Amino acid sequence: MLLAQVLLNGVLLGGLYALMAMGLALVWGVLNIVNLAHGAFIMLGAYVTYFLFTKAHLDPFLALPFTALVLFCLGYGLQRGLLNLVIRSPMFNTLLITFGLEVVLTFLAQTAFSADFRTINPDYAGANFELAGLTVPQVQLAAFVVATGLSIGLWAFLLRSRPGRSIRAVSQNLLAAQLQGIEPRRIYALTFGLGTALAGVAGGLYGTVSQINPYIGASLTAKSFVIAIIGGLDNPLGVIVGGIFLGTAELLTALYIGPTYTEVASFGILVLVLLVKPTGLLGRTT
Amino acid sequence: MFRTLITLGFLACTSLTWADTLTLGASVQLTGPVANTGRYYKDAYEFAVERINASGGITVGGVHHTLALKLLDNQSDVNLSVRQYVQLLSEDKVNLLLGPFASNFVLADSAISEKFQVPMVQGGGASDQIYSRGYRYIFGTLPPASNYFGTTIDTLLKLTPKPSRIALLYADDAFDVSVAQGARAQLSQAGFQTVIDERYTSNTSDFTSLLSRIKSSAVEVVLVAGHETEALNFIRQAKSLSVSPKLYAFTVGVPSADFRQALGNDANYAGGMTAWLPSKSLKDAWFGDAEQFARAYQAKYGYEPDYHAASGVATVEALVRAIEAANSLDPKKVRDALAQVNFPSLYGQISFGATGQISLPQTMIQVQNGKVVAIYGPGGFLGKLQYPMPAWGKR
Repeated sequence: MLLAQVLLNGVLLGGLYALMAMGLALVWGVLNIVNLAHGAFIMLGAYVTYFLFTKAHLDPFLALPFTALVLFCLGYGLQRGLLNLVIRSPMFNTLLITFGLEVVLTFLAQTAFSADFRTINPDYAGANFELAGLTVPQVQLAAFVVATGLSIGLWAFLLRSRPGRSIRAVSQNLLAAQLQGIEPRRIYALTFGLGTALAGVAGGLYGTVSQINPYIGASLTAKSFVIAIIGGLDNPLGVIVGGIFLGTAELLTALYIGPTYTEVASFGILVLVLLVKPTGLLGRTT
Repeated sequence: MFRTLITLGFLACTSLTWADTLTLGASVQLTGPVANTGRYYKDAYEFAVERINASGGITVGGVHHTLALKLLDNQSDVNLSVRQYVQLLSEDKVNLLLGPFASNFVLADSAISEKFQVPMVQGGGASDQIYSRGYRYIFGTLPPASNYFGTTIDTLLKLTPKPSRIALLYADDAFDVSVAQGARAQLSQAGFQTVIDERYTSNTSDFTSLLSRIKSSAVEVVLVAGHETEALNFIRQAKSLSVSPKLYAFTVGVPSADFRQALGNDANYAGGMTAWLPSKSLKDAWFGDAEQFARAYQAKYGYEPDYHAASGVATVEALVRAIEAANSLDPKKVRDALAQVNFPSLYGQISFGATGQISLPQTMIQVQNGKVVAIYGPGGFLGKLQYPMPAWGKR
C-alpha cells in the first residue's frame, strides 16, 4: 500500500515536473538555447498567479491563462529585443546571456516582492479523496491533468497547425524554411514566448502545491534540464515520460534509500541516459 | 607642498572620524535564498545601533563615540561571507564583529574572527559545532541547538496518554544535525520510541515519501528540524495527503509572522519553539522592555520581530557592554570583557558560558487561531496545548 501511494505521489509530481521542463525543452530544441533563466520565468509565473489570486481574487486555475499571456508577452519581447541579437552566436554566449537574465529577474523579484515566503492557498488547496485505499490530492491531480493536457496540446500544435509547422521547419532546416517564406525571427520569438508561457503556467501550479520566493528558480532550472535530457527534445510527450520517470524515481529513492539520495538519483539517471541513449528516452536515434 | 597638505588634511579627517566612530562590521544575507531570515539581522542591528546612538552612544576612555555599522551582503553564499569578513577586518578596519545568520555561516566565519583575534558576537548560529573547537573569539546569543527540542520533549512527557511513536526528521546542515543529535538522546532517555529517524537534503521541496511513511507507520508525534520553506512544504503536503499525527513541531518558522501569513489557517496547531517572547518582564536599558521593543520594531519595519531579531539586538548590546567594561577598543580586552558580561536585556539575561555560548531555556509554542501561544517553559505549562490536533477534514 505504501509503495502504491508513493508511486501515485511520484506520477503526480512527475506531471508537474514535465510541465516545468516543457518550455525549456521546446526552446532548447528549436532555438538551440539552453535557457538558464527558465526557472526565473517559472518563479515570475508563480508571482503573477499569486497576485491574480490574492489581489484580483481570481481562482488560481482560472488565473493560469492570464499568467500564460503575461509570460508569453514577456518572453516574446525578450526574444525580439534581446536574444535574437545573439541567436547566431556560439552557445556559450546564449548561456551567458540567459544566466545574466536569471540574475536580473531574481534580483528584480526580490526588490519588488521581498524575500517573503508565499503560497497560493485557495480553500481547496489541500483537498483530497480516497480511491482504492490511496489518498489522491486534488490539486496535484488537477496540475497533472493540466500538464498532460498542455503537452498533448503542444504536440498537436507543432504537428498540425501552421505556426507549429513553421517552428518545426525552422528547427529542422533554417535555409529551406526561409525559402518557403518563413520569417525566422518571428518564429523564434513565438517559440520563446510559448516556452515562457508554459513556464508561467508551471509556476502558477507550483505555487499552489509548494511555496514561492524569488530564489526558487535556479533549482527548478536544473530539474527542468534533467527532465528535458531524460525525455529528449524531439517531442513534448518525451518530456511527460521524462517527468514521470524522474518524479517516481526520486520518491522511490526517498522511500527505500533515503531522502538525502534523491539528487544523486536524479543526476545519476541523467548520466546514465546520456551514456546509453543521449537523444532521450523517446528521442529518435540518429 | 600642495600634495602634502592634502595628505595631511586627509589624515586629519580620517583620524578625526576614527576618534569618535566605533564601527561594527557584519556580513549578512540581504539577497539569496536565506535573505528572508537574513534581513531580521540587518533590521535588528540597525535598530539597536540607532537606539544606542540616540541615547548618547558610548564613552570609551573618556572619549565619546557613536556607533556605526558596516553591513555587507553575502548573497547567502558562505564562501563570499568568509571573504567579506576578511575584507571587513583588513580593508574596512572595522573595530568589532557582529555575526551572519545560520550556523553553517558562523562555523566558517568564526575562523576569521579567531585568526584576526577580533571578537565576533553572533545571534544567528546555534549549532554546538561552533563552540566545540576551542575558539576564543566567538560568542553567541542563541542557546545550544542540541537542546532545541528539550522543552518539546518535556511537554510530551506531561501528556496523557503519553505518545509513544515519534518521527524525527532533520535537514543535513550543521544546525539541524546538532538539533537531531540532541533530540535523539533526549527521546531515548525519556523512553520514547523513535520509529522514523531520517535525514533529508536541505531545501527539499517534496516530503510526500516521508509523509506516506509517517502515515503508514502510525506515528503520533513528528519533530522536524529544518528550514522555514521545508516546514511550509511539509505542512501543505501533509494536508494534501491527509496526514495528521497528534502533534508536529518544527525548529524554525513557527514563531515568525511570515510563516503564519504564508499558511493562513493551515498554520494552526503547528508546534515550535522560541528562546524569546516579547514579555514586559524582560527589562532593557535602551528599549525599556521586550514588549515595548516588539511594538517599536513592528512600527518601524512592518512585521513582528521573532527571536532572531531579539537575538540580533542582544549581540549589539553585548558588544557595547563589553566595550564599556573594558573601557577600551582593543579587541583582546573587549574579548575578555565579553567573557564576563552579565546584564539583563530585552532578550533575556546575557552572559556567556566557557565556550562562548549563551544558555537560555526554550519555550514550546503552538499556533492557535493564527496566534503564537506559549505552551511550556522551564517552569511548567504556560498555556494549554491543543492536543491531539484534529484531522485535516475536521478543522
